[in-house]
Amino acid sequence: MTDALISVDNLRVGYGGRVVLDDISLQIRKNEVLCLVGHNGAGKSTLMNALFGVVTRQGGEISVDGQRLHQPEPKKMAALGIGLVPEGRGIFPGLTVDEIFQLAMWATGVPQRERPERIEWVMSILPRIKTFHARRAGTLSGGQQQMVSIARALLSRPRCLLMDEPSIGLAPKLFQDLLQPIRQLQQQLGLSILLVEQNVKEAFKISDRVLVMRSGAIIHETSPEALADNKVLMQFY
Amino acid sequence: MLLLQLIINGIQVGALYGLTAVGFSLIFGATKIFHFAHGASFAISAYVFYYLYAVLLVWWPFAILAACILVVLFGVVLDRYVYGPIQSADGSFFTIFVGSFGVAVVIQNLIGTVFGRGFISVPSALSRSVETLPGLYVAPTAGIAVVTAVVCFVALQLFLGRTNIGIALRALSESPALVRTFGLNPKAVSTCAFALGSLLVVPAAVLTSMTSGLNAAIGGRVMLISVAATIVGGVGSLRGAACAGLLLGIAENLALWRFDPQWSEAVTFLILFAFIVLRPSGFFGRVVTS
Repeated sequence: MTDALISVDNLRVGYGGRVVLDDISLQIRKNEVLCLVGHNGAGKSTLMNALFGVVTRQGGEISVDGQRLHQPEPKKMAALGIGLVPEGRGIFPGLTVDEIFQLAMWATGVPQRERPERIEWVMSILPRIKTFHARRAGTLSGGQQQMVSIARALLSRPRCLLMDEPSIGLAPKLFQDLLQPIRQLQQQLGLSILLVEQNVKEAFKISDRVLVMRSGAIIHETSPEALADNKVLMQFY
Repeated sequence: MLLLQLIINGIQVGALYGLTAVGFSLIFGATKIFHFAHGASFAISAYVFYYLYAVLLVWWPFAILAACILVVLFGVVLDRYVYGPIQSADGSFFTIFVGSFGVAVVIQNLIGTVFGRGFISVPSALSRSVETLPGLYVAPTAGIAVVTAVVCFVALQLFLGRTNIGIALRALSESPALVRTFGLNPKAVSTCAFALGSLLVVPAAVLTSMTSGLNAAIGGRVMLISVAATIVGGVGSLRGAACAGLLLGIAENLALWRFDPQWSEAVTFLILFAFIVLRPSGFFGRVVTS
């Protein structure tokens, strides 16, 4: 398909002889929110980490813009416009928010002269960060930490965000508040988002497609509306 | 006056202990590697300085520069070619410690073979004490030691707080996996920790060679002080390691007021033991939320 930003073909990942992802194939299209659902241990986070190069694959291919990647790794993926918001906040508790942003921009090669403008840009998307940017991340609330994690991923101006369970530890209202600017940004910039989320009710509100995973394999692809009506598949999340 | 003399001596020794301990603490905090060969780094830089400055009569800045280069190389090579392979083979904390211990023993024996096992020191006018008050003798090296320790520590704090590599080092101490997710190579950041931590021993080694002198086994004593200061100061706290180094230096010297010199080392153990039992988190140990 020509509008695929990321293509995954027959991806295999395992730890210590145990197969975690088996023969995974999927596409993340341009300007879509793709939601990945499944039980705990289905392999959702591993898939996301393999896509970003945090976990080494054992087989299969990953392509970005049709270009096959020999060995995905975080720096390369960031350079290609992919950003990861990892599970469990993804912040350094002992660093201030400003330091986390500085580190992220340095790590992804954002030129020095563009850095103030980038920070201003993410703060215009998530303005509440302005009130706590000088504080240590470990002293922030769960919602604030998640905001920092998302803002950090946005600093590299990604074309695709991989978001791993952003609602963990957040009150539903807080999660809704967090999803709104993400959805607006996605529509404004034509971002692609791969969203792994347990709170499917909220996640489906912003999703265009849904993939259902079970035991390391994708077992179904559907629309959020169709899945919400499918009682057989609903048991998987 | 004796008490004041012992306190001044203690501050001088403690400043150097603090510098060495901060280097060890930086490496251990960032990489979680128990770099036992940190003492060997101290010995290498001290003997390189001694050989170039006192034997070959090289101008002292060049001798110090050579010691800096060699000791950084030593730390980086150890990280890359000793600890790295052990970690790649899923070696445990203890395996790495044994590897490091082995390297320290080899270095100690090499130094003993080349320079002999006897006591040596670098003669310098700076280490000659002058009577500043009646009965109080202070050498210029005491002031140099304190100023050097303060300058190095402030410079290190600025480096860790204001440079990208410094922030990356602090990030590494919290989560190497997340450092990788950010797009950095944790191994490269770890190498920076070894380079910087090793570099910090040079001023202490040079000044020690000019004041209390050296022998081939000095690395072991340096390690004892570094580990004790790291624990007493609070693991992961550079400020704690510096303060604890100072405390140990002063305590060791104050012990001479009432006890024989052979008991001064026991004071280090006593303080370490007291902290382990009464305050395991050390001076500045903190609980970090995850």
